Amino acid sequence: MREDMLASILSDLNGSSADIEASAVISTDGLIMASLLPANLDEDRVGAMSAAMLSLGDRTASELTRGSLEMVLIKGSQGYVVMTHAGEEAVVSVQAKSTAKLGLVFLDIKRAAEAISKVI
Amino acid sequence: MDDREYEQLLQYAKQFSGVTEDMENTLQGLYERVKPHMAEVTDSFYTVLLDIPKAEPFLIDRLDALKETHNRWMESVFSGPFELDYVKAMYRVGDVHVKAELPVEFMAGSMALITTRLHQLLGTIFKDEPEKLIESVSAVNSILGFTLMVMQQSYESSRLAEELEKFLKITGMSRTLFDNLASAYKE
Ligand code: HEM
Repeated sequence: MREDMLASILSDLNGSSADIEASAVISTDGLIMASLLPANLDEDRVGAMSAAMLSLGDRTASELTRGSLEMVLIKGSQGYVVMTHAGEEAVVSVQAKSTAKLGLVFLDIKRAAEAISKVI
Repeated sequence: MDDREYEQLLQYAKQFSGVTEDMENTLQGLYERVKPHMAEVTDSFYTVLLDIPKAEPFLIDRLDALKETHNRWMESVFSGPFELDYVKAMYRVGDVHVKAELPVEFMAGSMALITTRLHQLLGTIFKDEPEKLIESVSAVNSILGFTLMVMQQSYESSRLAEELEKFLKITGMSRTLFDNLASAYKE
């Protein structure tokens, strides 16, 4: 039931913009709760890596006096990875195209994170 | 460590040190000849240790107890069997030293001291039997090397555990997240 709701939120998120290529909801311990990922990506790795990055992001934001963490953004030559908290217990990780309009992507992710935090 | 890991360590340490059943028999055969001199070997070991400024603070107040423990350990070296129980016991002894915060080099240093003293002793016991001398010196070298490897393994894992703790504290990662990350990358 909860998994279905999370899957539906991810489906809306991926559908909200052609720039978003994949997304996942992950527990803060790094386990996938729901995902819409391409077949070539290993779910366990995406989950654990995203949660680890967010944990490190939390630490970095506070160590470097940037306040509480809002998101972690990674830009690679092939595109973006954006991660943010969805409530206390979960992480949303999104992959977007290198040509993505980030402002819009951020808004979509924020909306999805809020919806996820209500479900969890 | 679980039994499978102890078994792996046993085989690994045996491969390096060359402990075999023949050597085990040789060591057992030496027991009666060496036993009357064990206390001397132990005394001389601790006399040297007491002269090492870094070692001395670990010894005062408990010298007699340590000598007794040490003698018992030496008896086990000339008894065997050198199988899983011996590995477990020596791994635990390594752990006790880690907890007592003894520097790791004390282990290799001590084995060098004990090896020298046992060689000298065997030299006097077998002064007219060169073949027996070589055989017993080889067996002593093997078992002491074997024991050292096992003891040092506890130092290695405890150092890794300490470093991991530090890493988790710095990054804010939970132990469960780290385990999940590690298992996601298991080959
Ligand atoms: C070949 C080297 C050594 C061997 C085989 C050896 C053996 C042992 C054994 C069998 C124990 C008892 C462990 C138990 O509680 O079951 C022990 C404890 C201890 N050893 Fe060693 N030892 C070695 C070197 C050293 C050295 C070099 C020092 C100090 C300079 C040392 C200091 C201690 C101390 C302080 C304890 C007691 C720890 C405690 O009870 O709190 N050992 N050792």
